[in-house]
Amino acid sequence: MKLETLNYDLVVVGAGPAGLTAALLASDAGLHVAVIDEQAAPGGQIFRQPPSTFNAPPSSAFASYPFGQKLLAQARNNIRIKWYFSTCAWGVFHPEKGGVQLAIVEGEHSHLLDCSKLLIATGAYDLPVAFPGWTLPGVMTAGGIQTLLKSQFLCSAQRYVLAGSHPLLLLLAGQLVDAGAQIEEVAIARPRPKVCELLAGWRALPGHWRMFGQLAGILFKLWRKGVPLRFSTIVTRVQGKEGVERVTLSNVDTNWDILPGTERHHLADGLAIGYGLLASTELARQAGCSVNWNPERGGWVVDHDDTMRTSLEHIYVAGEPCGVAGAEMAHCQGRLAGISIVAALRPDSTLSAISARRALGRAKPFADTVATFFAPRLDALTKLADSETLICRCEDVTAGQVCDFLKKHPHVSSVNSVKLACRSGMGPCQGRYCQHTVAHLVSAERNIAVNQTGAYTAQAPVKPIPLASLALVQQD
Amino acid sequence: MPDSRRIEPVADLRPAPIQILVNGHKTFCYPGETVATALLGAGARGFRRSVTGTLRIPVCNMGVCYECMVKINGLEAQRSCMTLVSPGMCVEVTDEA
Ligand SMILES: Cc1cc2nc3c(=O)[nH]c(=O)nc-3n(C[C@H](O)[C@H](O)[C@H](O)COP(=O)(O)OP(=O)(O)OC[C@H]3O[C@@H](n4cnc5c(N)ncnc54)[C@H](O)[C@@H]3O)c2cc1C
Ligand code: FES
Repeated sequence: MKLETLNYDLVVVGAGPAGLTAALLASDAGLHVAVIDEQAAPGGQIFRQPPSTFNAPPSSAFASYPFGQKLLAQARNNIRIKWYFSTCAWGVFHPEKGGVQLAIVEGEHSHLLDCSKLLIATGAYDLPVAFPGWTLPGVMTAGGIQTLLKSQFLCSAQRYVLAGSHPLLLLLAGQLVDAGAQIEEVAIARPRPKVCELLAGWRALPGHWRMFGQLAGILFKLWRKGVPLRFSTIVTRVQGKEGVERVTLSNVDTNWDILPGTERHHLADGLAIGYGLLASTELARQAGCSVNWNPERGGWVVDHDDTMRTSLEHIYVAGEPCGVAGAEMAHCQGRLAGISIVAALRPDSTLSAISARRALGRAKPFADTVATFFAPRLDALTKLADSETLICRCEDVTAGQVCDFLKKHPHVSSVNSVKLACRSGMGPCQGRYCQHTVAHLVSAERNIAVNQTGAYTAQAPVKPIPLASLALVQQD
Repeated sequence: MPDSRRIEPVADLRPAPIQILVNGHKTFCYPGETVATALLGAGARGFRRSVTGTLRIPVCNMGVCYECMVKINGLEAQRSCMTLVSPGMCVEVTDEA
């Protein structure tokens, strides 16, 4: 155990496209920069690479996002930046002397980093969906199956059903077919796109032909392999003794509500869930940044101005925490945040934000189209849980327990009260997997808007850390 | 339990194997793999048991769900998806095979 305090102009949390872009730009402009990431190497989720010990080609994500290759090469070669990999950022503090303090932990070692500016670029995670059987071994997030496959070359099962509505699901389908896995069905919840929707989407396409081509290639691959791709279909149940054995799907209407009598089953040992992403905002919320509820963009997302500054003077945000919008937007926002931070710390800087703003403007229509086209219906997904379904998988709390509590306590209308009474959100994931489900249960029971149920209070440490590290920082 | 397997899209993908101990048993894996990959590749049935005793294995593979927690070199509750293997590492899971 050791504790040292280190000083930086800028500390960036998250080495994905957003964080890397900002960190490299700020470092090139002469700022003293540190980057923190829990992963062992730079890249974030989309550019997660195979281990350097493997003799593997670089990830295929560079084909869709060519800027990624340069970004990663620059990051690897930059020795001016202090890189903290396999390191978790767990708390933001506001010292009286000014600036910001970030607490990080690497293994058992904690450090406090003092910085003038903090950039939160913590990305997003796959939206957890609670339905009967979702805790059985073999049910994984689409991103989880994909990252095991592309960065570890492990195929998590033999026979899959893929259920969701996010484009990542199709990407995964293509990768699983390439890996030789069998796919019983790709079940997409949204209805088959109408011609008018396709035409509207078409307008957002310029500059994105490469991605469109990739998608067409995947659809062709699935068709050739005879993999059924069905719209208006949702997963309703998984059964098995010690793992996934049987997956039940049902047809849904345009609101994703189940049409009775349309159940059908597949035998499978793997189920991929890819209904969307939730923004990782715990660190920003713990810091005190204001947020707003945006179900199309990942739940609670961080407020920011047009320089990417949050509601707090020294804290900036970029990428998915300010709304799930894909790698290109993350890259553009990272650039803008980097320029704004340099301008704030070096008033004589000649960097201009004009071209960064233009790039952001060009990327936005595509991101907006994808967001509306694939928006998850969180309300309908919550209805998949029956009273026996665990909604909090850390503390094994069922939907029935939460609903009983709400019925017995008619004055309760916040997720935090449910958390304290039912323990949902008290386990190691700290509510990342149950908060939105609890929020929708409260909203339905009380007939109030979801954003009125509030967010779980994010407290330091935002991820579990060794107790000794916490004690040391609190003494400071 | 899903049937996980390593794939080899290109020849000589992996470096020479190393050994770790899983519940005291020698288990092969490869430098660069995470403990989660090593355990899935070895067919571990359950990584941990939940508070009501049900089997759990990795869900997110990105450090969020905490379903992949195992004991590593004596330290409890380590996320196996975020920890790289190293020779001789001692891993303990609830249900090995
Ligand atoms: C599992 C997964 C797979 C994906 N695959 C694809 C894909 O193949 N194609 C595609 O177009 N999009 C994919 N996406 C969407 C992708 O998230 C975005 O397109 C893009 O990566 C967003 O960039 P970002 O910089 O905002 O965040 P990210 O790339 O997610 O980077 C955020 C980084 O912050 C780190 N971090 C978060 N919290 C902390 C903390 N407290 N302490 C330390 N580090 C922290 C994370 O480890 C991560 O590396 C995927 C998303 C997920 C979740
Ligand atoms: S698999 Fe989710 S934290 Fe490791």
